[in-house]
Amino acid sequence: MEFRIAADELKKALHRAQGIVERKATMPILSNVLVTAGKSGVTVTAFDLDIGIVSEHPAEVVKTGAITVSARTLFDIVSFLPEAQVTVKKLPNNYAELTSGAAHYKIVGMAPEEFPKLPKDDAAHAVALSGPTLLEMIKKTQFAISNDETRYILNGVFFEPREKGLVRMVATDGHRLALVERELAGDFKLKSGVIIPRKGLFELKRLLDEAPDAECQLGFAENSAIFKKPGLSMVMRLIDGQFPEYQRVIPKEGEKQLLVRRDKLFDALKRISLLSADKSNAVKLSLSENLLRITANNPDLGEAKDDLEVAYRGGTLTVGFNARYLLDVLGVLETDEVSVELGDEHSPGVLHLPGDKSFTAVVMPMRV
Amino acid sequence: MSRAIIHIDMDAFYASVEQRDAPELKGKPVIVGGHPQRGVVLAASYEVRPFGVRSAMPMARAIKAAPQAVVVPPRFKAYVEASEAVFRIFERYTPLIEPLSLDEAFLDVTASLGLFGKAWELAARIRKEIAAELHLPASAGIADVKFVAKIVSDLAKPDGQKEVPPGMSREFLAPLPVSRLWGVGPKTEEALKRLGLRTIGDVAAKELEWLAQKLGSSAQHFWDLSHGVDPRHVVPDRDAKSVGAQDTFEEDLLGEEALQPHLHSQALRVGRRLRRAGVKARAVQLTVKYEDFTQVTRRHTLEAPTDDGQALYREALALLPKVDLRRRIRLTGVAGQELVGEQEQLGLFAEEAPSRSDKLNSALDRIASKFGAKAVVTADLAHDAPDDQRDGFYREEKRETAVAAEKARQQKGPRVEREPGEEG
Repeated sequence: MEFRIAADELKKALHRAQGIVERKATMPILSNVLVTAGKSGVTVTAFDLDIGIVSEHPAEVVKTGAITVSARTLFDIVSFLPEAQVTVKKLPNNYAELTSGAAHYKIVGMAPEEFPKLPKDDAAHAVALSGPTLLEMIKKTQFAISNDETRYILNGVFFEPREKGLVRMVATDGHRLALVERELAGDFKLKSGVIIPRKGLFELKRLLDEAPDAECQLGFAENSAIFKKPGLSMVMRLIDGQFPEYQRVIPKEGEKQLLVRRDKLFDALKRISLLSADKSNAVKLSLSENLLRITANNPDLGEAKDDLEVAYRGGTLTVGFNARYLLDVLGVLETDEVSVELGDEHSPGVLHLPGDKSFTAVVMPMRV
Repeated sequence: MSRAIIHIDMDAFYASVEQRDAPELKGKPVIVGGHPQRGVVLAASYEVRPFGVRSAMPMARAIKAAPQAVVVPPRFKAYVEASEAVFRIFERYTPLIEPLSLDEAFLDVTASLGLFGKAWELAARIRKEIAAELHLPASAGIADVKFVAKIVSDLAKPDGQKEVPPGMSREFLAPLPVSRLWGVGPKTEEALKRLGLRTIGDVAAKELEWLAQKLGSSAQHFWDLSHGVDPRHVVPDRDAKSVGAQDTFEEDLLGEEALQPHLHSQALRVGRRLRRAGVKARAVQLTVKYEDFTQVTRRHTLEAPTDDGQALYREALALLPKVDLRRRIRLTGVAGQELVGEQEQLGLFAEEAPSRSDKLNSALDRIASKFGAKAVVTADLAHDAPDDQRDGFYREEKRETAVAAEKARQQKGPRVEREPGEEG
C-alpha cells in the first residue's frame, strides 16, 4: 500500500477519530485507526465497537492496501509535518512509513485483518433531513442526559418519531428533563422510539457542527443508527432498553405562571449561586406579585439575594432549585423571554418559550 | 478566644456495661472478648487490669495472665444502646460533639459555660448524670485544646476528672514523655530520642528552626503541640469536612489485588459513618502512603453525592491506577469529602423505588446495629477485623494517643493511624 495525501486532509480524519478510539482500550487495536487505500482514494476508519466513523479522502494512490496504527500517534505526527503533503507506505511486518519533506517516520502497526468489522448498514432506512434542525435538537436536550452509569437507560437521548413528520427528542437524568419536538421530514420506519447514547450523540453533534448545511441522512437498523453526509458515514450502537414514561412527569399546566427576561434570570442565578451551600448550587426562588427574589446561603461563606422584575400575578411561593439545572436550560434558549410555571415547593418547575411548547424543560426542586 | 473542651471517655466501656447488666460480675475481673484462642480482648474491667490484661491483647494471652477472670462474649447491641444514651446526655449541654468512637467524644462547651457554669462543674454534672441514669463510669479531661483534654482524661481514669486550666498546657505537658504528643508513633519517638528529646518540655525548649532541620515538615506540628497549641476545632460528624477511614498495614503491600480488600473495608466504614451522620459525600479521596512514608492523594468528584460504601469502593478502585502500584504501600485511606446534608434534590420519577443499594444499606445498617458490624460482610472482608476492634463504630478515625498506639501495636490486624495535620 502506498499513497500521497494532503496532511490537513488526513489530520481532519484523525481529529475525528480521537473522539472515538479508546485511550486505554482493553483490546489494543481499538486505539488504532484503519487506513485503507482504494482506487478512488483513502478511507479512514475509527471504531470502538459502539461507534464507528468511516471517512473518504482524496489521495494519489500508488498501490492499494491497508494499515492500522495508533490513532493518537498518527494524529500527533500528522500535526507536525514539515510539508503540506505526506506519503504513507506499508512496510513488511505491518510497519507504516510516513515521509514528508525530509522528515521520515517508521511506526509500528498491526495486521489490518485484525481491525474489527463495522456493522453492515445496508438494512438501515436512511432519511434525508435538515442538519441544522437535528443540531438544534441535540443542543436542546444533551445537557439533561444522565452521567450516572448505573442508570444506563438514561445515558442517552430518546429519539421518538411522532405523527406528521415530527420527531421528539427527550433526555432526563431523573432530576430534570428536556424535550424538544421538531419537523424532520421523512419516515424513519421505527415502531417505537430509540435511545441514542451520549457519546454517539456528541460525535453526531461534532459532525453536524463541522458543516451544518451539508446534506445528511439518518437511519436506523435493528439496534444501531447510521448517519451519513458526503464522504462520511457513522454507525453507532443504540442503548438497548425501555426509556421511562417521560410524559407522565411533565405537568399539564402549572398553577403559577410567570414571564421573565431570560438573560436577567440567567445572570441572577449565576451571581446568587456563588453562595450556595456545599457546592450544591442550591438557590431559593421566592415569588410574589411581579417580583422574583433569588437567595442563597452558605453557613461558611454568607448569604446573597437578588430581586428580578417579572410578570406574575398570583399567590406567593418559595421553592428551592439547583441553579445549574435552570442555567443549563436558559443557556440553550435564544428568546428574550422565558415562561416559567411552578406548582408548590415539591412540584416540578416547567420552562418553555412564551406560547411555544415545542421545547419543554422540567426541573425538580430541591428541599432547602 | 480560649475554648473549653471536655474529652469524655467511658471507663472499660464494654466491661462496665456487662458488669452493670449482670450484677454478679460487679467487682469481679471481667474480660469481654471473642474466641478464646483466636480472638482479642475487646475490653478489660479495672479489676483484671492489675494482671496485665489490656484491650486488643490476644485472648489466649489474657486468659493465661488472669485465669480467674470471667470471660464474657460481646453484646454489641447493648454497647450501641448504652453509647447512644451517653451521647444523648452530651447533647443536653452542647451541640458541638465530636464522636471518636462508641465510648469517647470531644465536647466543645465554650458557649455553654454561661448557662451551666465552669467547665469543671459541667464535666462533673455530665459524669454524674451518666452514673445516675446509666450506671456507667466515665472519666473526663478538661483543657483549652483537644489533645491536652485527651491526655488529661487518660490521667484521670478511672471514674475521675482532671483539668488543665487555660494557658497552663505548656507547663502541664513539659514533664510528659514525647510519646504523648499526638502523631508521635514509635518511629518518630525513636527519632526524637536520638535528638535527646525525651519529654515534651525538651521539644518546647528547642528553637523551631532547629527542629525543622532535624524533623522536616512535621516540626511545626510537634513544636506547636509541645507549646499547648492545637488549632483543631471540635467538629461534629454532621459538619465535618470529610469522613474517612485509613489503616496502616501489618506489612507493606504490593499491587492492586492486595490493596483491594483494605480499600473495600475502608469504603464500607466511610459509608456507614456517612449514613449515621445523615450526610452524603460529593467527592472521594484516596490516600496512599508508600513504604518510604511519602504520601499521595487522588480525588474524584462524583456525579451525585453518595453514602453507599460500595459506590465509594468503586470510586476508590478507579483512583487506584493513578498511584504508583509498583511501589510497596504501607497505608491506604478512603475519605468522603464535600459532605452535603439536608439539601435534597427531589426526583422526577417520584414513584421510583429507593435504589437497591439504599435498601441493601439500610438493611445492613439494621443488622449491624443488632448483631455488630461483622454479622454480614462481603466475602473479601471475611477475615477483616471488625470495626469495634479497630477503633469503634462511630468514628473510625480515632485520633491516637501514645496509649492507643501502644494498644494498636499489640493488636492483630490493621492498625489505625491518624496523620498529623489532618482534620476530621
